[in-house]
Amino acid sequence: MQYVIVGLGGQGILFSSKVLGQIALSRGERVLGSEVHGMAQRGGSVISHFKIGSYHSPLVRAGEADLLLAFEQGEGFRNLHFLRDGGMLVVNVHQKEALENERLRSYLDSRRIGVRAIEGYEILKKEMGGRFLFLNVLILGALSATVEGGVSYDEVKQAVAELSPERFRTENLKVLALGHEALQG
Amino acid sequence: MLSKRQILLGNEAIARGIVESGCAVATAYPGTPSSEILPAVAAYADELGTKTAVEWGINEKVAFEVAVAASFAGQRACAVMKQVGMNVAADGIMSVAQFDMAGGFLLVVADDPGPHSSQTEQDTRFFSMFAKLPCFDPSSAEEAKRMVFDAFDLSERHRIIAVLRPSVRVDHCRQDVELGDVLDVPNRAEFKKDPKRWVCLPAHVRLSHPRLNAKIDAIAEEFESAFDSYNYEVPASSKPKLAVIAGGVSFSIVMDILKAMGRTDVAVLKIGTPFPLPVRKVEDFIARHDNVLMLEETYPVMEMQLPDRTKIKGRWNGFVPRAGELLPEIIEGLLCRALGEERPSRSDEALKAALQELKVTPKPPALCPGCPHRASYFAIHKALPAAIHPSDIGCYTLGINQKMVDSVICMGASVSQGSGFFLAHHVDGKEQPVVSAIGDSTFFHMGVPGLINAVYNRHAFVLAILDNRLTAMTGGQSHPGIGEKLRKGDEGVAVDIVSLIKGCGVRHVEVIPAYDVTAGAQAVRKAWQFARENRTPSVVVFRHPCMLLRPRQDRISVTVDREKCVGCRYCITNFNCPGLVFDDEAGKARIDERFCVSCGVCRFVCPHGAIVAVGGEEA
Repeated sequence: MQYVIVGLGGQGILFSSKVLGQIALSRGERVLGSEVHGMAQRGGSVISHFKIGSYHSPLVRAGEADLLLAFEQGEGFRNLHFLRDGGMLVVNVHQKEALENERLRSYLDSRRIGVRAIEGYEILKKEMGGRFLFLNVLILGALSATVEGGVSYDEVKQAVAELSPERFRTENLKVLALGHEALQG
Repeated sequence: MLSKRQILLGNEAIARGIVESGCAVATAYPGTPSSEILPAVAAYADELGTKTAVEWGINEKVAFEVAVAASFAGQRACAVMKQVGMNVAADGIMSVAQFDMAGGFLLVVADDPGPHSSQTEQDTRFFSMFAKLPCFDPSSAEEAKRMVFDAFDLSERHRIIAVLRPSVRVDHCRQDVELGDVLDVPNRAEFKKDPKRWVCLPAHVRLSHPRLNAKIDAIAEEFESAFDSYNYEVPASSKPKLAVIAGGVSFSIVMDILKAMGRTDVAVLKIGTPFPLPVRKVEDFIARHDNVLMLEETYPVMEMQLPDRTKIKGRWNGFVPRAGELLPEIIEGLLCRALGEERPSRSDEALKAALQELKVTPKPPALCPGCPHRASYFAIHKALPAAIHPSDIGCYTLGINQKMVDSVICMGASVSQGSGFFLAHHVDGKEQPVVSAIGDSTFFHMGVPGLINAVYNRHAFVLAILDNRLTAMTGGQSHPGIGEKLRKGDEGVAVDIVSLIKGCGVRHVEVIPAYDVTAGAQAVRKAWQFARENRTPSVVVFRHPCMLLRPRQDRISVTVDREKCVGCRYCITNFNCPGLVFDDEAGKARIDERFCVSCGVCRFVCPHGAIVAVGGEEA
């Protein structure tokens, strides 16, 4: 299973690969991933690679990812080439009309790429008083509601509980449930 | 005996190896992609209860010299830095390379092919060759950890510095790694006085240089046969059409691609000890194949050590690009080209067209919302719009987005460039305002000598020290201005930056809260006036904690008054905050609440007074 996780520096992308790693390790599987630190991390486009299974290299080759997890829609669209045909994009959208773009639709259809979109900012504004730092956990909730994501809600819940700092644990679990519910059904 | 697997960052795996190896003194200066190693050394030393001294050095040269003297005294020691940090430490490294070391010494230098967060993509394996030091090149986090043990051992047996060169993809990979216990090494501090051994007089070098050559020859022999877990062949299971020689993460990428492609007709030779190259082993592999591709990052270091390169497709003859990171997509293309086969087509033209229509472009790095540097740069711009702005290495290089960075070279060079720009105009009889910008950690690192030089030689310019109370770009490490140390229970002493500036002979210093752009602009004007009237450098310290520290500060929610906004984009061009964007449809600025942290500084930016506090200005 190969994941590519994209977004903007400061959105908490590293936490999601930690959660995926924790899950894989508890299943007894090998994990390998690649992260971005330093100047490249400051507010600009960032990309994390994450592989579960028997691999040598931490990088996912374009056209090989099973799942693209995007914290920001523009970053998600820009990195669609990482997905394999038939792969899945789980994306946080703030201007969802972009998903109706005809050219984009025809590209996605031609490659049989599925899309699950969550309006993360709207949810956090409504439910969490606009504390957008919870976006990373919300998206993990959305991922756990997607069969193609390869991780169950219970697994994610346990890993988030283990990895959350004490003072954020309760709220993180609440937000995780929000993300899961938003994409369920 | 503790034995378990844990998911570690490559840098944490290296750190774990350093502590388990019984290293007594570990030093570093932070720099991406190496920064996470030393804090992890401290954490593991705390966890495993070792006595290891763990310290940030003021710069890489100092860090190296501190650690290396511990080795002279018989202890295992290591210094950690990024590739350009090795340039700073080079003076010491070149001398000590020739010494007959006592305790094992590991030099960890992280490379950044790409580069992602560096000013060069130089190759530490090449530097090792220059210094005649053995170099290990790991292909994974797990291998990097194993190499730490072997590097210490090799260093101690041959009494030579051993270099470990992880590249960014190893440093920042995350992998499950086996944890072990601390080795019981017999090393104790016991310095044996011996001037022939520890003093680099020319007379001694005449003996030590030939001795170094003999050591490298002996190590080359060992690398031929005794390091088969790092240097090994993965044979093709059918008649090979291609042979690949690869080191570092390029090897890992090749292995994954061959597996995904289901190829059984490509033989691979992995090399984990690129200098000195096990030449016979490589030549034997080449002799058995007709079509040979060589993959290494970033210089043709292994290739250059081969007397006969005629068969090789590599970086030397340009078959492999002579610059840049060897990403999986690039390696895939090279493998296909070397095999003389069509690359499976993957046309993304339709996607490109969609992205263009949706106006999606990559987002370059930017200063964080609320970053004090943005406010400081704006104040400097307000004060002296015609000034030249040399800048330095750190987050504040990103002031380039505000058009406030005119030149950057390397750590500390903003100060010396201030001198050069002054002199260039001075000899023509011209007075040119110059405001150099440097961070607090970078000032301590290498800015101080330039400032003393400017005082001594009487160079008129303003030095803006952007004091955000930590080393920010690399993730928030401490430095002498803060005084905090890494290991639990260790207490440092803070060096007062203003006293230091005055001690350099600077006569005009002012400290300003960075968010107060009016006071900042006034201070810069005053400082420039003093500098030019007295022909001397003057300093303004802009102080406000970095946003990474999540400082407690007033939250001032702001909004753009649509009536007052004339759509001039002044705020976008000169302030450039992710929380303040231009709405093309409305032709006006607006706050992007996804990113705004309510620092309130932009209220002082709009020349039309259109950016205001929500609910009016507070009393």
